[in-house]
Amino acid sequence: MVRALLLLSVLPALRLSAQDPLTRLAPRLAAMTAVSGLEQAMTDTLLTLVPASTRDRAGNVIAVLGKGSPRRLLSCPVDEPGFVVGNVTDDGYLLLRRVGRVQNFLFDQSLEGHRVTLFGARGPVPGVVAVRSTHLTRGRPNPDQPPFTVDNAFVDVGASSAAEVQALGLAVLTPVALWKDPMLYGGSLLAAPDAGRRTACAALVAAATSRSKPKGTVVIAFTVEGLEGGNPGLAAAKALHGPFDDTREVTLPARFANTPVETVNLDDARALEKQLEEWIGGGK
Amino acid sequence: MDRVRRTIALGVFLSICPSVPLSAQDTTALHETATVLGRLIETYGVSGMETPVRDAVKQLLPSWAQTQTDTAGNLWVKVGSGDPVVVFVAHMDEIGYAVDSIEDDGTLTLKNRGGFFSSLFEAQPALVHTGAKDVPGIFLPRDSGFTRHNPPPLRVDVGTGSRAATAALGIAPGATVTMPKEFVRLADWRANGRSFDDRVGDAAQILALRHLDRSKLRHQVIFVFSVREEVGLEGAAVAARTLGTSTARVHAIDTFVSADSPLELPNFAVAKLGHGAVARAIDNSSVTPPAYVDSLARVAASRGIALQVGTTNGGNDGSTFVPFGVPDVAMGWPLRYAHSPAEVVDLRDVQSLADLVQAIAETW
Repeated sequence: MVRALLLLSVLPALRLSAQDPLTRLAPRLAAMTAVSGLEQAMTDTLLTLVPASTRDRAGNVIAVLGKGSPRRLLSCPVDEPGFVVGNVTDDGYLLLRRVGRVQNFLFDQSLEGHRVTLFGARGPVPGVVAVRSTHLTRGRPNPDQPPFTVDNAFVDVGASSAAEVQALGLAVLTPVALWKDPMLYGGSLLAAPDAGRRTACAALVAAATSRSKPKGTVVIAFTVEGLEGGNPGLAAAKALHGPFDDTREVTLPARFANTPVETVNLDDARALEKQLEEWIGGGK
Repeated sequence: MDRVRRTIALGVFLSICPSVPLSAQDTTALHETATVLGRLIETYGVSGMETPVRDAVKQLLPSWAQTQTDTAGNLWVKVGSGDPVVVFVAHMDEIGYAVDSIEDDGTLTLKNRGGFFSSLFEAQPALVHTGAKDVPGIFLPRDSGFTRHNPPPLRVDVGTGSRAATAALGIAPGATVTMPKEFVRLADWRANGRSFDDRVGDAAQILALRHLDRSKLRHQVIFVFSVREEVGLEGAAVAARTLGTSTARVHAIDTFVSADSPLELPNFAVAKLGHGAVARAIDNSSVTPPAYVDSLARVAASRGIALQVGTTNGGNDGSTFVPFGVPDVAMGWPLRYAHSPAEVVDLRDVQSLADLVQAIAETW
């Protein structure tokens, strides 16, 4: 109880009213960060959400429902494109390297002038990505600039030296992501970075924890490194837990993909949850 | 059992208390500064819709302060009596958007309120402030033009799908639009938030009033919390006309846009964060007479207050008093990444500025 209350005190403030498990779970997962290959916090959470689940040696979270044949795989990628610290300057700024495949100029540009979270050895650290002050561009030539890219990003955590950065628990390879505060709007729309992937996984959690009777064996896999070449997490799930008679990767259509306002309709997510429950029970 | 209850009570308190995290290094003064500033930062007030900020300022002022609101919306606090009248002015408004029209599909077209890079709002969560409530939505990302830094004119989607449904939410042209914001402590003494420009000025005036020794005042001092600075110093202009030539000196308390950043040219505006308040001696709207800069430096030195002197860009409310023969001794604090959600201040600078305002009121 005490732990739950304290946890509530540090969780991002969600603007959602609790109506059904999926409505609570989707923004909760969307508020979390799981940079591709560095998904431990997310998989730890999934282990607590899905009864009898375990972590395989690839890092995937696996739950096995039912027994016998057919043996089928239902998977959802948990990772997201993001960044890691690539370098620290002498005056205390952090430079970034992108991790995970992404195709959208706005993905990088969304960093500029916005808050980020750095997941350091001593816990999350807030920072901001530097942007020029509009005032100081006045009276100076201002040709149309090329799009902002991650190579232009200087992360300011309030430190004045590399030693101060180190004291915060930050170093090369520290995961970095946009600060997240999922937004519910228009009644049933959820906007957040990677809302599509997170809501799909939330639907899978809901389906996997429903009381649907599985037909044969259904392996539920929350896979890591889905955005790395060759989708190694999913490949490992198939190699370690197969062979499978049928597989399905859970996805949900999203608008404005790879932007901070990637949007899903929670009504679609609820429909997906029902489909997954039917699939677990042997339906198509 | 009592211990458990106390722990639970602490947990509940932490879960509902305002999100103004404290630093272990805070002094009492710095804690007060962070608390006042945090409250102001987490209040919304785009130019022309400053009522929530004005209400917050009133609540944060000392109980003895008598306030007046003029026809423009400026909030006045007068202290002491007699000539020469000295005026401090800090603005309450922030940059953002106003709704221009509602389209057939229910999305909102926007017009700027103040100057900023629109790319900073693109593809971000949005809040439409109707006056009665805040309606959530998103700033739509562009669907083309990825080769340019800045997007085409932005629109906001509140997820309704029709003009009538949007109007039914209470949204009408003129409603203001921002994105959600929060006051967040960074390492040591630094903090991030949007609209430090000019909530820090407001906080400095409030803190100075809270700690002012009124018995030391030798003349009247007027503190003005102004409106519509970002769209052309409109509120201050009303205050300046009201006071006319009766003012002996004005101090605009506003941002010193600093080049203390890896992205800025170091030719000017290099006031370091953490090195104290800044005399904004020259900007795009006014030049402080050198003798007044010297006097300001003497006041700061007499109280042991850190002060930097520099020149930056931008205009300030005090410049509207200059045509009435009033010297504008503008002051500020160094701000990184002005007019963006990434704005960063050093709270020691804010404290320094508040101390300086108090010292000027009491001794100059």
